[in-house]
Amino acid sequence: MKILIVEDEEGLRESIEEYFTEAGNICETAATYQSALAKVNMYRYDCILLDITLPGGNGLEILKSLKDNNHPDGVLIISAKNSLDDRLEGLNIGADDYLVKPFHLSELKARVTAIIRRKSYNGSNLLVFNEITIDLQAKEVKIDNTPLKFTRKEFALLLYFIANKGKVVSKNAIAEHLWGDGIDMANNFDFIYSHIKNIRKKLMEAGCADYIQAAYGMGYKFTDK
Amino acid sequence: MKLLTKYNRVNLITTIIVMLITGFIYYQAISYILTGIKDKDLVVEEREIFDYVKLNHELPQTFESNDQQITFTSASPGSVKREFINTEYYKKFEGHHRHRRQGEYEAGRGLISSVTVGNNYYKILIIVSKVETEDLIRLIFIITIGVILLLLLVLYLTNRLILNRLWQPFYNIMGELRLFSIADKHEITQVNTTIDEFNELNKAVVDMAGRAKHDYDDLKAFTENASHELLTPIAVINSKLDTLIQTENFSDQQSKLLNDLYTAASRLTRLNQSLLLLVKIENKLMHDRQQLNLLDLVEEMTSQFEEIFSDKELKVTCNLHNKEIYANRYLTEILLSNLISNAIRHNYIGGEIIISLDNERLIIQNTGDAEPLAGEKIFTRFHKSSHSEGSGLGLTISRQICESFGFKLEYFYDQGYHVFEVIF
Repeated sequence: MKILIVEDEEGLRESIEEYFTEAGNICETAATYQSALAKVNMYRYDCILLDITLPGGNGLEILKSLKDNNHPDGVLIISAKNSLDDRLEGLNIGADDYLVKPFHLSELKARVTAIIRRKSYNGSNLLVFNEITIDLQAKEVKIDNTPLKFTRKEFALLLYFIANKGKVVSKNAIAEHLWGDGIDMANNFDFIYSHIKNIRKKLMEAGCADYIQAAYGMGYKFTDK
Repeated sequence: MKLLTKYNRVNLITTIIVMLITGFIYYQAISYILTGIKDKDLVVEEREIFDYVKLNHELPQTFESNDQQITFTSASPGSVKREFINTEYYKKFEGHHRHRRQGEYEAGRGLISSVTVGNNYYKILIIVSKVETEDLIRLIFIITIGVILLLLLVLYLTNRLILNRLWQPFYNIMGELRLFSIADKHEITQVNTTIDEFNELNKAVVDMAGRAKHDYDDLKAFTENASHELLTPIAVINSKLDTLIQTENFSDQQSKLLNDLYTAASRLTRLNQSLLLLVKIENKLMHDRQQLNLLDLVEEMTSQFEEIFSDKELKVTCNLHNKEIYANRYLTEILLSNLISNAIRHNYIGGEIIISLDNERLIIQNTGDAEPLAGEKIFTRFHKSSHSEGSGLGLTISRQICESFGFKLEYFYDQGYHVFEVIF
C-alpha cells in the first residue's frame, strides 16, 4: 500500500515512516502544507496521514481539496487538537478517522489498516492471515473453517495484532486500544496477560500455529516467522 | 446588622434623648414662668389685704373663690417669716350631689405673710390652685411625646422609602458581585446611579472584575498552550519508544528500563490529557449535551472494567435503576470511568465495590484503606495519596464535570467503605 505522511514534526514523521515501511509498503512524506498539497494533487495514495497544524496552512484545506477533486484516498487526521469541534469538522469534510496526539504507532497502524481495508475490499469483509479467517462484519474467527468463540475484546485484540503483524506491540498500547484513555492502571497490566493467554489457547486448540510471542516483558509480537 | 438599621438605631436613640432633654427643659422653664405668674398673683392679693387693713384697720372678710383661699391665724409677733411655698389646695366640690368626699386636694402655691391689725399680729396664708399650670404642663408633655412619635414614624417611613431607594445601587452592585464568577463569560454590568460613592464603587468593582478575568484568562491560556506544546514532544517520545522496541535483542536490564520509560511516558500523556480536559471543561467547550441513559452507561462501563475487576478479584455489586440525564456523553463517560477506576485502584485484592443508581444519586463505594480520605482536599489538583499511581487530577476533573452538569460530587467514609456520591 502507498501511504503519505504529512507531519511537520521531524521526529514523529520519521518514526511513522519507519514503522510503516515494510515489504509491500511505500511511504512518502511531506513536512509543509505546500509540499503536501503538491503531492496530493499529483499522486494517489491508499491512505494519507494528515496533521492539521502545518507550516504554511491548515491540513483541513488539503482534505477539502482532496474531496473537491473527488479523490478516493483514505484520510486519517492526526492532530494535537482534541477538541470535539475539530474532530467533527474533520470527519464532516470527509476524513475517515481522527487520531489525537500522542498516540502509539501500533494504534496508528491499526487505524490505517482498517481504513485501507474498508477502501479496498469493497463488499468483502473477510480478512485472511494464513489459516485464520476473520469475518469483520459478523465478527467471527475461523481456523480452517472451524468457528471460534471470541469475546469482543479478544476479537479486537486479534485484529490489532494482525494489523501490527511482525511488530512488537507494547502493553500500554494494547491497554489503551482495548480500554481507551480512561484506563489508568499503568503499573498493572496483568489483565492483558490473561486475555492473550485466552486467545492463544483458543487459537492453538483449534489447530492454529502459535503466532503470539512475548517480547522482553514489554509487549507482544504477532508473527508467523 | 444592616448599615441602615445601625444608622436608624443611632438616629432614633439620639432623637429620643434630645427630645427628652428638650421636654425636661420645657417643663422646667414653663413651670418656672407659671410659678412666677402665680407668685405675682399672690403678691397682688397680699397687697390688697395690706391696703384693706391700712384703710379699715381690720382684717378683710375671708371668702373663698374657686382658685383662692385666704386664712388668717393669730400668731405671736415676729414669728412669721414671709415665704412662698408649694402646698396643697383643698378644692370643695360644688353642687349638692351626695358625694362621699366633699372635695379633693390639688397642687397649690401659697404665700405666707403677716399683718398687724391694731395690737394683734396675724399670719396670712394665701393659697392658689395650680391645677391649670399642671394641666398646661401635661399638655406640653403630651405634645412632646406626640412630636417624638411623629418623628419616629417619619424617620421610619423616610428610611423605608427613601433610604432603601438610595441604597438600591449598592444592593445592585452587591448582587452583581455575588453572581460574579471568574470562569464564566458574564460581565459585571454598570449600575446607573447619580451618587458619586456608588459610581466609584461600581467603577472599582468593574475594573477589578475585568482585571481578575483578564489574569485568569491569561493563566488559562497559558495552561492550554503549555499542554498543547507538550503534546508534540510527548508524541515524539511515544513514537520513538514504539520504534525502539522493534529493534530486538534487549537484555533484561534494558527491557526493564524501557518498561519504566513507557510507564513514565504514558503517565505524562495522561497528565497532559487531563490538564487539557480540565481547561476544556472550565472553558465550557464541551457544551453539546444530549439525553443519556445513565443506567446503560454504567453497565457499559462496568463491562469495560470486567477484566480488571476479576484481575483484582473484586466483588462488584450493582443496584441500578433507570435514570435519564441531560449531559455531555464524553464527559459522563470520563466521570464514570474516573470514579470506577478510583474504586479499583484504591481497593485491595478481594475487596468490594458497590455501585448504586437511583433517581437522586449515583453512589460508588469501595473497600480500601481503613482510614477516611482527607475530605475536601482530595478534590484539589494534584492531591494524591502517597502510593497513588494516578495523575492527581482524576477527582478534580470528576468534580468539574459534575459542576458543569449542575450535579454535586461528595465523598464520605462510612463503615469501612469509601463512598463517592453524585447527587443529581
